[in-house]
Amino acid sequence: MDLIAGLIQTSILAGGVLALAALGEVLAERVGVVNLGVEGLMSLGAITGIATVVATPSPLLGFALALAVGFMAGMAFATATVIVRANQVLCGLALTLMGTGVAAMIGKAYSGIPAPVTFAPIAIPYLSDIPVLGRALFTQNILVYLIYLILPFTLHHIMFRTRHGLDMRAVGENPAAADAAGIPVQRIRFWYVSLGAAFAAGAGAYLTLAFVPSWSEGVVAGRGWIAVALVIFAGYRPWTAVLAALLFGLITSLGFVGQARNWPIAAPILSMLPYLGTIALMIVPVLAWQKVRRLMAAPAAIGEPYFRDVR
Amino acid sequence: MALRIQRVPSDNLAGGIAARLIAIVLALAVAAAVFAFTGADLGKLGGHVVKSTFSNFGMQDVGLILTPLILTGLAVMIALKVGAWNIGAEGQFCAGAFAASGVALFVPGPTVVILPLMFVAGALGGMIWILIPTLARAYADVSELITTLLLNFVGILLVYYVATGPWLDSSGFSFASTKRLPHDIPALWGDVHWGLPIAVIITIAVAAVLNFTRWGYEVRIAGSNPNAARYAAIPFRRHLIVVMLLSGAIAGLAGMLEAVGTAHRLQGGISNNFGYIGIMVAVLARGSAIGVIAGALLMTLILKSGLALQTQGVSVATVLAITGLILFFTAIGDELSHYRIVRTKNEPQEA
Amino acid sequence: MNVMLNAEETVASGSAIQPIVLLRGIAKYFPGVIANQDVDFDLVPGEIHALLGENGAGKSTLMNILTGIYRPDMGEIVIDGTPVTLASPVEAIAAGIGMVHQHFKLVKAFTVAENIHLGWKDTPRRTSRAVLEARTAELAASLNLQVKPGARISDLSTGEQQRVEILRVLSRKARVLILDEPTAVLTPAEAAELFKALRQFVARGNAVIFISHKLDEVLEISDRVTVLRGGRKVTTRRTAECDKRMLARLMVGQEVVLGNMRTRRADARPVSEQPVLSLHQVSARDDLGNMALKDVSLQLRAGEILGIAGVAGNGQKELSQVLTGVRPLASGRLEVCGEDLSARSAREFAAFGVGHIPEDRLQSGLAPALSVTDNAVIREYGKAPLSKGWFYRPSAATALARSIAQTASVAVPDFGMPVRNLSGGNQQRLVARREMRIASQVLVAAYPCRGLDVGAINAMMHYFTELRDAGVGVVFVSEELDELCKLSDRIAVMFHGEIMGVVDTADVDIEAIGLMMGGQRRLAAEPAGN
Repeated sequence: MDLIAGLIQTSILAGGVLALAALGEVLAERVGVVNLGVEGLMSLGAITGIATVVATPSPLLGFALALAVGFMAGMAFATATVIVRANQVLCGLALTLMGTGVAAMIGKAYSGIPAPVTFAPIAIPYLSDIPVLGRALFTQNILVYLIYLILPFTLHHIMFRTRHGLDMRAVGENPAAADAAGIPVQRIRFWYVSLGAAFAAGAGAYLTLAFVPSWSEGVVAGRGWIAVALVIFAGYRPWTAVLAALLFGLITSLGFVGQARNWPIAAPILSMLPYLGTIALMIVPVLAWQKVRRLMAAPAAIGEPYFRDVR
Repeated sequence: MALRIQRVPSDNLAGGIAARLIAIVLALAVAAAVFAFTGADLGKLGGHVVKSTFSNFGMQDVGLILTPLILTGLAVMIALKVGAWNIGAEGQFCAGAFAASGVALFVPGPTVVILPLMFVAGALGGMIWILIPTLARAYADVSELITTLLLNFVGILLVYYVATGPWLDSSGFSFASTKRLPHDIPALWGDVHWGLPIAVIITIAVAAVLNFTRWGYEVRIAGSNPNAARYAAIPFRRHLIVVMLLSGAIAGLAGMLEAVGTAHRLQGGISNNFGYIGIMVAVLARGSAIGVIAGALLMTLILKSGLALQTQGVSVATVLAITGLILFFTAIGDELSHYRIVRTKNEPQEA
Repeated sequence: MNVMLNAEETVASGSAIQPIVLLRGIAKYFPGVIANQDVDFDLVPGEIHALLGENGAGKSTLMNILTGIYRPDMGEIVIDGTPVTLASPVEAIAAGIGMVHQHFKLVKAFTVAENIHLGWKDTPRRTSRAVLEARTAELAASLNLQVKPGARISDLSTGEQQRVEILRVLSRKARVLILDEPTAVLTPAEAAELFKALRQFVARGNAVIFISHKLDEVLEISDRVTVLRGGRKVTTRRTAECDKRMLARLMVGQEVVLGNMRTRRADARPVSEQPVLSLHQVSARDDLGNMALKDVSLQLRAGEILGIAGVAGNGQKELSQVLTGVRPLASGRLEVCGEDLSARSAREFAAFGVGHIPEDRLQSGLAPALSVTDNAVIREYGKAPLSKGWFYRPSAATALARSIAQTASVAVPDFGMPVRNLSGGNQQRLVARREMRIASQVLVAAYPCRGLDVGAINAMMHYFTELRDAGVGVVFVSEELDELCKLSDRIAVMFHGEIMGVVDTADVDIEAIGLMMGGQRRLAAEPAGN
């Protein structure tokens, strides 16, 4: 029983990284921009988080600074892809290379140092006394509640239940139609891409401030890419993205359990599970979900730069 | 006379080359500025780079680094020709190195027999590694960019696992390496082996096939517009699969050459970012074989400079960051090369 | 009759009615082409003002400037007497200008209600499906337009989609309604409905700009007409003072013979007895899996031109794909020269002598990023002298490309440059001559004249008569009835994937064709297909 509670608790904790990054990517892709720089942004956020918390004892400040760094990097990316309208795939790959490289350069000084202060679990009164579930669900750090409850609720509400959300989704579906309707396409794309990038960096900070919690050169380990894949799998929706991330958290925590209990499978092989799992998740549903295709379809104009004044 | 800026649908060759050159120069300038800002002596650094690159060992290093980069660049380029993003060259490289090392370590026989076998194993390893992403893309339209990329991590883990586990060198020479492989690729000049001319020949051969065979023509049409392929009854799916498998095979071959010819053992980290830098080479190449060789040469020099400056605190991470910057500026430059300045005459207004 | 006001009348009567819209000296340039030069235009309340010109004359460009999508390179825009700059569509909408584009600006994945409320400051901040749909229903009722608020745009017919567009524009309190070639997607009956609605609209003191290249429509609906040619304004007249011939001459710039091209040369091959191509109860699915062709039976004889009429989207695209082997049959039989080709590939059709000018050349007939040479040889790259065994000779390919360009009268500065650098008309000419080389039995041309200027259209039509006289059977799909009547010997009308009837052009009755386009089957002794 204790094992189950621990498993759920770790799953939620582990999934939080992917969930926050995926939520950010949902925003970017919903306005039609594919941001493949999530991996690099997570690295930048991760190093910002740990560097801040080593210098000052405030993980909250570390998280906030990571968001800021991500936002600025996002603005550079958005300038290239939305304003200049350069190829989104290339710019995203470039952002990943730059982010990972710069983070590794700065990170040499912090390698292996455990974060002196982290986001500690907060026990919600009464609820956390429930057997099993209490420990698993109601004894998590504050970022978890933010990522799993507040953010998806807010984003879903904005995207699907407000006027602004309608306009914003139209930008990703048919920018020409949105433009003709008077919606500021460039402006919406620019700010949502930057915001999504901020979330990605925040996910990196979560990694070094709440989950691992320390820095090493391979700490992000492809989670940014898994997050991008999850967004496709989750049909570009906030709640399903967060649920998919949770599923991943489960796979990861199973791997931890395996290592802790000396299962006969070697550590590197267990580490392969998340990647193989992601690939399976990308392939299997496509074959099975013929009916749900329409619901899960990508925004129609995703990945295409928008030119108004060009024949 | 009024000047205005117009966007034309096609970029031109001169503009593309200019964009790339400017991108490289700009990125290096930014890097130099950052070095200067952190207090490094640029003159000393520059001198160090030139001296170590153009020394005897330096040029051999260039030859050794050039080999895998030409092949990974070629692998990514041909995938692009058919409209596919093979970001998994890194993993296919590992798979090729793994397969070839396996043959070297466990199949007994004379070099003259085993060496060709290792070539085949390397190519097959890469091909198998790209097989599932290829089929997923061909039959289920699943993004090959992400699937090939995810397998990179698996490939690196695989090599790490065997090099630290079952195939670990018992003599304790390293904690993440097999013993020295019993076969070598014949040397060409110093440490540089025949892998380099083989890489160049493969590149030229691929270019020849693309431009001078019927199959190559069909691949180019299909890659440029799958609808036109359907219109002309060119089997797009079949060509997509063949080209992607070929791409994986070439990347796997690069891994084999590296493991057998350069490192002489299978060690953790053997792929060394060659797969990722291969993407940069393919982007620089703009779809031509000469471009692949030129791009590979450029990236080799940058990598070599990075290695030379390791003693000064520069690491692979720095080189990757600079590569990213070059890619970023190249992407921007490519888009900007679509614009041109146009003069229009003012007609006299009618009264 | 609505109250007709126009500038001349008001000047004559002494009272100055201010034009709602006034354009002075507008110019707009694109790469290699002058889209508008020195254009003046005015629009007064209560009028329907037609903007007439052939394809490429600059009509859509001018209106895109008025709606803030393009910025003019020169000139000024004056609304209600005040000069304005329309920097973006928002400002045009705020100024009361609304446009229904030729290619609708609707989000296909959204419902009607969601599209109506897009980018609208009157949309409530908190939206829910029910609220939006209720508001849409109210709006539609007040403006007398029939729409289904909860339907997804991708499920609607083009006529219904157009109504949604109009509703969206009108609900923003537009006083100026611009329609760009609205009847291209309507049956004659639906067009009449539209005209009625437009007259009601202007009767309330608003105004309409009606872009068209169809002379009949312009004469029927408009109060004044402005003719554009080559990007410049030729004249503005009261429609009552115009006739078809004069407008045609103004539009094209020279005397236009509005006759037909059906008369053959003396040495032309006669129409054959046996069909060269026949379909027996052919059914086929479209890309989404729906039945696009239902039990179609059709016969084409050598030496004749068979026109296919009907509003676009009724199965014509699938028909042309089935006839050329690009789309497989779901059932039925297809024969060319008596040979059953029902299960063969496009390549075998081409080998059999069936040429195909596809509906969207840049989408399917060409690879836009590849060179002119690569595109010119797409049909013959596998044959000698271009290929021998596995090998392909680029030099022979360039020679072939040169000869095709020459017969097409297209000057190509560099055969290695991407084919998308050529103009639309030149691209189409190349594609046509490329296909004509292999079309020894049949040529299937789907909307071959779409978007071309009159010179290129003329060239196309002459190519088809050339083939016809040489004994080839030509299938000519078009949405322009006058083109069809001019060129084809017989016309088959398609509706919802079925052939409604086939008529001889010699005794054609436009009204009957119009009815068939709208779904009424021909009640004639002749069964469809004979």
